Amino acid sequence: MRESADDPLIARVAEELRRPVAVRPGFDERVMAAVRRPVDHLPVRAWTWLREPRTLAVSPLGGLAMAAGLAALLVVGTWRPGSETGPSGALGDAPAGAAQAASADAASLVTFVLLEPRAGAVTLAGDFNGWDAARTPLRRESSGIWTIDVPLRPGRYRYAFVVDGRRFVADPAAPRAVGDDFGQPTSVVTVGGAARAAGGLL
Amino acid sequence: MNVRLLMVAAALGALAPPAAARAQTERLAGRVEARTRAAVEALVDSARAAGLPGGPLVNKALEGASKGADGARIVAAVRTLSRNLARARSALGSASAEAELVAGAAALQAGVEASFLELLRAERRREPVVVSLAVMADLVANGVPPDTAAQAVLALARVGTREAELVAFRQSVERDVALGAPAGAAASLRLNEGARQAFVDQANTFAPANRTPRKP
Repeated sequence: MRESADDPLIARVAEELRRPVAVRPGFDERVMAAVRRPVDHLPVRAWTWLREPRTLAVSPLGGLAMAAGLAALLVVGTWRPGSETGPSGALGDAPAGAAQAASADAASLVTFVLLEPRAGAVTLAGDFNGWDAARTPLRRESSGIWTIDVPLRPGRYRYAFVVDGRRFVADPAAPRAVGDDFGQPTSVVTVGGAARAAGGLL
Repeated sequence: MNVRLLMVAAALGALAPPAAARAQTERLAGRVEARTRAAVEALVDSARAAGLPGGPLVNKALEGASKGADGARIVAAVRTLSRNLARARSALGSASAEAELVAGAAALQAGVEASFLELLRAERRREPVVVSLAVMADLVANGVPPDTAAQAVLALARVGTREAELVAFRQSVERDVALGAPAGAAASLRLNEGARQAFVDQANTFAPANRTPRKP
């Protein structure tokens, strides 16, 4: 732009613009420091924080508590309902893998029946109750028929009736177990998978 | 305490036996005498370390205790089952369910060759094979030779036989054997009968449903 000497207004403006700006001391340094500072975004800060080595001060008790918490997480992570044989309930004692194999993990109500007119007591011992005869007593119906319903998940179970607390009796209505390891009569019941979600006694 | 020490403490905590595994072996307390229990626990730990289920092994020990077997017999039975579970997993695949491994171990103990388990899994890759394996073992328990039983079940699996039909097949063989038929012959006969019925069903499926005979 070329200034005109005839125009006093323009001359005043030009003079004003030519006057050096007064800045506070250290202004240049502050500007340059701000320019040199790395970008201060959150992800960058977080990454920088993660990479920086640091020392944590934890008491021995706190360390043990954290270790226990980690172990508990591992247990929770690997536990599946019914995956471990529990001490109570036929369902808890059922093999659980079938839950993975079959879409239907539903329990089937299996009826066990034994005709023993002269028995004083009949119980059931098998893989589904930890072979604890005391846990699953049968009800006496009319005519010496003993019966009980047990919910079982899909799987194959070995079992036997225990008459009067001492005599093992195989189920006459079920297949016998092959190769009995302990020299006592043992039967087998297989509960089917998805196709037989209800009443799956096979 | 620095981070390294903390990591060591965490690793020790992680190595401690999980609560569920402890619950498994605690079922042996009061049921099995101490020496037998220690031997069974060692077998269960080894099995679990190899990725095998421990529950069936504990059940086997409890079965022995319930039947009054001595410690040596219990340990031997648990060891045999552990070996058969490992063989079953090897044949059926590592993704097999626990119930399949248990049924597979029973079939192997009955004398069925592991190769039949592999073939069965190949036939029914997406379906549970618990019932098929159980029927194999049940047929052998009825006197059917292991190879015949396995081949029969495999043949039925190949034509898509359902679980209930497999069980009906087993029951038919049982009935025949109870009536005096040789077990192997009964299985073969029922298998042929099933194949013939399947052929008739297939023929009916393709036949026109409402075809009326044309008058001459």
